[in-house]
Amino acid sequence: MYRKIYRGDFKCHLWFSPKARRTKEELEFEAFNGDKSSKPETLNAFHIISLSQGFDLSSLFEEKKREEKEELRFATMRLASSVISRLEEVAKSVKFNVKKSESRVRLQGQECGRNGRLTIVADIFVVTPSFLVLEVKKDNVDTLEYNQFCSKEFRPALKDIVWTSPAENPTPA
Amino acid sequence: MGCFQSKVTRQYPGHEDPTILASQTAFSVSEVEALFELFKSISSSVIDDGLINKEEFQLALFKNRKKENIFANRIFDLFDAKKKGVIDFGDFVRALNVFHPNVSEEDKIDFAFRLYDMDGTGFIERNEVKQMLIALLCESEMKLADETIEAILDKTFLDADMNQDGKIDISEWKNFVSRNPSLLKIMTLPYLRDITTTFPSFIFHSEVDEVAT
Repeated sequence: MYRKIYRGDFKCHLWFSPKARRTKEELEFEAFNGDKSSKPETLNAFHIISLSQGFDLSSLFEEKKREEKEELRFATMRLASSVISRLEEVAKSVKFNVKKSESRVRLQGQECGRNGRLTIVADIFVVTPSFLVLEVKKDNVDTLEYNQFCSKEFRPALKDIVWTSPAENPTPA
Repeated sequence: MGCFQSKVTRQYPGHEDPTILASQTAFSVSEVEALFELFKSISSSVIDDGLINKEEFQLALFKNRKKENIFANRIFDLFDAKKKGVIDFGDFVRALNVFHPNVSEEDKIDFAFRLYDMDGTGFIERNEVKQMLIALLCESEMKLADETIEAILDKTFLDADMNQDGKIDISEWKNFVSRNPSLLKIMTLPYLRDITTTFPSFIFHSEVDEVAT
């Protein structure tokens, strides 16, 4: 499920000329799109069950509170294509670059922060054709910057596609 | 060293010699000692008796000693190998060992099977999976229509339950995991490779004269 494409740490070093930096980006683009199995992965009941916090023993070893964890996960009943379009809109509104495949959208900021450019990766997983899970995580970026971006820009922008329990919706199904 | 060992055993019932634990697990002696530092802090957090009870486990996992969770309960039950309702240091090390990156997949597959086989019948029944699925959705504050839940279960069992008898046995589970390797992700904790750097204070309490790594 967490198919990670291990890349080098593309830091934004000041002594690289703009031309060299672009070459790195091109390599990154190839690495990203080189993965041919780009269809969203299907989750079965056990995948879903294993998402439980009760199975995450890493909490035994670290002090971090749940809220500071790096992965955001939520459900949506929109189609994958609709989710991807929405993410592209979000990226456009905050002037981020977008790279996408059928199962992953990568948003990258233009400005160099402390650890390079703010990069966010959103992976789409299929539970049933009408029910998807979106997993959002940061990539190579400062946690504080990422959390601020998520709470101020990203999450509000995605509010209309995030699916919540019917009990919370005022309108009947 | 004999005096130290008996003192530790009195304070920590079930404490075993780190050298022995290291020989039986993927951990080095230093790593076992580092795990003891972690064990000491968890086991003293509510009752200082050298054992980890359910509340202390919940506190360590959720930072909330009152938080109940059926999955954490399963993990606790599997850690509590002697079925005493508490986890001693030997239990702790042996159970965490299964999560070590270097431990065989076979051990992880077995542990995961036992984890999901809630009533210990040797089969993962459909109603058990349904119960766990509903619990997870509840934990995530999501409520799905019953038909959606049934659709998810149908799809899962179509894939996993090869003889279609409504339950998954260990060989079906092994086959299923080989086709869905990401299911074992929860069974590995990369943290266990760096345990001596996470808990460096073990050096000051080392029982072993020569630290064999």
